[in-house]
Amino acid sequence: MSLAHYLTLAIALFTIGLIGVVLRRNLLVAFMSIELMLNGVNLSFIAFSRYLGDMQGQMAAFFIVILAAAEAAVGLAIIVLLFRRQGSVQSNLFQNLKDRIEV
Amino acid sequence: MTLAWIILLPLLGAIINGYHAMSCTLRKQKVITGMVNFVGVGLPFIAFLIALSQGIPFILGAEEPLRETLFSWITVGNLHIEAGLCLDRLSTLMILIITGVGTLIHLYSIGYMKCDPGYAKYFAYLNLFLTSMLILVLADNLVLMFLGWEGVGLCSYLLIGFWFEDKAKAQAGKKAFIVNRIGDVGFLLAIFGLGVLLLPGISEGASIFNFEYIESKMSLIAPSTIFWMSSPIILTLLLFVGATGKSAQIPLYVWLPDAMAGPTPVSALIHAATMVTAGVYMIARLDFLFDAAPATLNVIAIIGASTALFASLIAIVQNDIKKVLAYSTVSQLGYMFLAMGVGAYAYGVFHLMTHAFFKACLFLGSGSVIHAMSGEQDIRKMGGLKKALPITSMTFLIATITIAGLPPFAAFFSKDHILWKTYSHGHTVLWVMGLLAAFGTAFYMFRLYFLTFTGKSRVSEEAKAHLHESPFNMTFALVVLAVLSAVAGFLGLPEVLGGHDWIKHWLNLGAGSAKAHSAHDHAMELILMGVSVAVAACAILLAFLLYRNGLEGPERRARAMQPIHNLLTNKFYVDEIYDAIIVRPIRSLSQSVFFRVVDQKLINEVFVNGSGKVLSWLGSCVSRIQNGFVNRYAFYFLLAVSVFLGIWVIN
Amino acid sequence: MQVLDNAASFQYFLPEAILGLTLLLILILDLNKELSKSRLIAPWTAGVGLVLYIVVALALRVQLPEAITFHGMMANDAFTDFFRVFSGASALLAIFLSMHSKELEGVKIEYWILILGITLGMPVLAGANNLLMIYLAMEMVSILSYIIVGYLKKSRKSSEAALKYVLYGATASGIMIYGLSIIFGVSGTLDVLEIQKFLVNNPVGTGRIALFVGLVMTLAGFGYKISAVPFHMWAPDVYQGAPTPVTAFLSVGPKAAGFAILLRFTYTALAQFNPETGIFTPLKYLDITGLMAVLAVLTMTVGNFLAIQQNNTKRFLAYSSIAHAGYMLIAAATLSSLALQGVLFYLIAYFIMNMGAFAVAIIVINATGSEELTAFKGLAKRSGGGALIALLMMVFMVSLVGLPPTFGFVGKFYLFMSVIQAKLYWLAVIGMLNSVVSLYYYMRVVKHMYFDEPEDDKSLGLKGFVFPGVVASLGLATVVLGVYWGPIVTFVQESAQLISK
Repeated sequence: MSLAHYLTLAIALFTIGLIGVVLRRNLLVAFMSIELMLNGVNLSFIAFSRYLGDMQGQMAAFFIVILAAAEAAVGLAIIVLLFRRQGSVQSNLFQNLKDRIEV
Repeated sequence: MTLAWIILLPLLGAIINGYHAMSCTLRKQKVITGMVNFVGVGLPFIAFLIALSQGIPFILGAEEPLRETLFSWITVGNLHIEAGLCLDRLSTLMILIITGVGTLIHLYSIGYMKCDPGYAKYFAYLNLFLTSMLILVLADNLVLMFLGWEGVGLCSYLLIGFWFEDKAKAQAGKKAFIVNRIGDVGFLLAIFGLGVLLLPGISEGASIFNFEYIESKMSLIAPSTIFWMSSPIILTLLLFVGATGKSAQIPLYVWLPDAMAGPTPVSALIHAATMVTAGVYMIARLDFLFDAAPATLNVIAIIGASTALFASLIAIVQNDIKKVLAYSTVSQLGYMFLAMGVGAYAYGVFHLMTHAFFKACLFLGSGSVIHAMSGEQDIRKMGGLKKALPITSMTFLIATITIAGLPPFAAFFSKDHILWKTYSHGHTVLWVMGLLAAFGTAFYMFRLYFLTFTGKSRVSEEAKAHLHESPFNMTFALVVLAVLSAVAGFLGLPEVLGGHDWIKHWLNLGAGSAKAHSAHDHAMELILMGVSVAVAACAILLAFLLYRNGLEGPERRARAMQPIHNLLTNKFYVDEIYDAIIVRPIRSLSQSVFFRVVDQKLINEVFVNGSGKVLSWLGSCVSRIQNGFVNRYAFYFLLAVSVFLGIWVIN
Repeated sequence: MQVLDNAASFQYFLPEAILGLTLLLILILDLNKELSKSRLIAPWTAGVGLVLYIVVALALRVQLPEAITFHGMMANDAFTDFFRVFSGASALLAIFLSMHSKELEGVKIEYWILILGITLGMPVLAGANNLLMIYLAMEMVSILSYIIVGYLKKSRKSSEAALKYVLYGATASGIMIYGLSIIFGVSGTLDVLEIQKFLVNNPVGTGRIALFVGLVMTLAGFGYKISAVPFHMWAPDVYQGAPTPVTAFLSVGPKAAGFAILLRFTYTALAQFNPETGIFTPLKYLDITGLMAVLAVLTMTVGNFLAIQQNNTKRFLAYSSIAHAGYMLIAAATLSSLALQGVLFYLIAYFIMNMGAFAVAIIVINATGSEELTAFKGLAKRSGGGALIALLMMVFMVSLVGLPPTFGFVGKFYLFMSVIQAKLYWLAVIGMLNSVVSLYYYMRVVKHMYFDEPEDDKSLGLKGFVFPGVVASLGLATVVLGVYWGPIVTFVQESAQLISK
């Protein structure tokens, strides 16, 4: 398999993740989509790394995994907090902060 | 830092009193008078002491200017302007006048402004004025000087309109501000012009508008041209436009008589002793530049002499005690410019100093009279006040004799120097004008004196009950100033009378002023001196004959000369002429075109309301996007990235 | 330029090490039961640590030559040192404000640790010389910010703000890191200076389009950090929901760090610097200045026009801070040394006046309990220091508009000056028009304070001299530096030195 195959898969993963973030109102799913995006990024890094014969990309992938975990930890904590108060994790329930339109 | 302290102390006073005034107004509390007095008068006094301590070496003969570079102010590319102060003999004289007379007038104000609701505000403004004026005279470069120049203009505006509830007074403030703006444009253009000339060849780190630097580059400026005209002439003419605004010369003098709407001590400090002389100071400061522009000097001399004569004629028929003094100030400033114009810079500055003393004394005296008369300013309703106001009338008389030019009082020496220089420069016509102005001066001043202090009392019964001599702090200032105006002239005792003409040698201004043809024609000088004394004496005698018994006689005679009298009472119709040829056309044009069409239709409806509507519609569109829904936010992020990518790839 | 190994690099990392140790020290102190009861011990320790941090950073700036450290991960130049001092100072002020805010009464030690953590991330972001380092530092700042925004567990707004921040931030950084991976793939290196070398040597090589895509995605990530329109949407909601001192901190510190990396990346990777003439030339076919100019115009305009409509103090200040990012962006878009200096200069000005405005907002919110702009009504007439606080707020507002004689005016002067010198007159004109618009909404606050009557008779209740004193010194600095800014210019000129090859 060539570099293009890997990159295509990476782009597919990334795009699916993005679409998930934009479309899914369930916060947990949105967060899973972000993980998907980051996995796409990882794949892209590793593929390039292998192709270039440069280990930096693989190193980057490790760091991204770690940061994704950290982000998920913080995100889930916040979601739990909101679930306790609201009893739901639908993102459209959280629209109190917004511009008030007066004309 | 010593020089900086002279400026900072009044500034501190302005800040403290200003804050106090503001918090008192907002919380509707009473002003703590003692604190205001202490700060408002004490700090300028300390500044005066510092100025004295710094100035004494110069008075004793030091020549090397004292420079203080405070900080590097503006640095953009190769434009470099430093905030620097410079004390030399000229600025020593100025700061001593400003802080000295300033302190006296602050002291006087304690009595004059007592019970005024804006007491703290008044002192804050007055202190701020001192700060600006000191910046103006201590600045070592044009830009800093301009800062002070604008600062004094602002304070002048604030103080003229001090009682802004009275619409006429507020408008007088506006008039002063706007007329000064016209002059300031000239000043600014001159600064820009200098920048354009000097900036291309500037060396690294040189402060471009520094007076010393400009002087060192005169060889570069003198042969250059701006718009096909010699640049020194253009620059000095522009600067002179600035000076006519600030120093109330023809054609921009119209604001000064109206400026009398402010409290009288303000008139004394700002509109007689200090601010209005800023133009004279500026020319003296830039003497090297003006020396290179003889054409400008002639213009200045002509304008100065005309102003002196013109204003003294108007002053003859004024009936408001302060208006007389206002026109007198315009006239005396004309003398100073005449001196500048004939290259006698030192005598112009000398007259500036003596004028500061006697005119401040006259204004404060008139303030004392107005105070005693419970606000009455019309001299037709005064008369015989000598008994009630002994100290005021005495000091007023001394100052009146001084301004009339009788020896050995100060103005005799300073004015006579100017007239002699004018004559010896060959400007005979200007000399005659100056002499006529001197006649007018002596006449209107003694008219003022006789009508106010001697003869039968025409004071209303109501006012009579309140007549009183002013308190000590007011009379103290009067006495000091009267003494100064009597003796200050000896600083410039001419050589022909056995003196050394100390002030001229000390100031040492204008390399070209010591021209050969002013070579000593002692006999002629003495003759001219005699002539001017005789003229003054005649004028005084005439005033005595006409006005010793009040107004009835002269008014009958005035009716005989109705046309001339009318012309004079209406101040040569200058305000009306300006109104007809400048104000009214602009106003009607504004009414018909600018207001109805441009403002109402175009600006108001199309631009303001239209753009407002469009923008608030756009705003609400964007606000609608900001609807708090986080998935939507992520979508817009994605959209934006895609749009940018699209645009860029297409490009 | 020397590239140092880890052992030799450590001396350059001394300030951050001090900050890290302070952070640990606070944790350890909290283990002691007696000490942990004291509310003051943690903020004070953090404050002392930060002061030490700034002092050491300033000392190192003089002592050590500029170098690339940790095998090319970090660039330690005067620019990085500037942001060390800047981050330290903004954290100090944020801690001070937090100690005096009623919203944050009784916070636990994590709060102070979070602030220190963010502060640790900011200079690393400013000095990052490696794509991975950029990402790591950015996440260090971001993730801690998510937590601190949601710190008020009982406040519904705070949690909602945190949610939006984390979701938006994670998406934005995901997009950015994808862009970075593309840049890595095309150029074959993560090192920023190596990337520049590659771009210079391969002006029309393969993968140009891919590189475009990667760059735009990266810039979008930076745009999110500096809340540039259209990547700003998180900012108003987050700023409104977060505790006020946190909002003050976020609108100054991390935003400045975002600007730091944006400037470093565009000026070192995407431009060629000629040390003799001091001129930056954008790379052929990769000229992003046009894009930045568009961003700048959008940011200024949207920020200003939406600020007009706001009635919530924090939301209003959020849009104002967006608008100010726009002013800085127009200068950044001109790619010149003067612009670099202008932005650094403006950051200092913005720091002082914005922190001042937030401090006053905290005072008002403390006293009235209301975050609406109407709470400013009649501020000047309130007892307990109203006249002073209103005067100071007026100074900050005038400075934010950019009127003389304030620091904000001088800052804007330098920004517009650099734009005019680059002959981008239309940008300067748009910037000035925007300043005029901003006059309207800033002066509305002044109008509220002086011309309206207070809605209640609550006292401001300022006690002691410390808090009003600090706010007053910010106000004084705004005015004094508006007249005398010489040393700041010198400092900024020294700081605007980016390491390059």
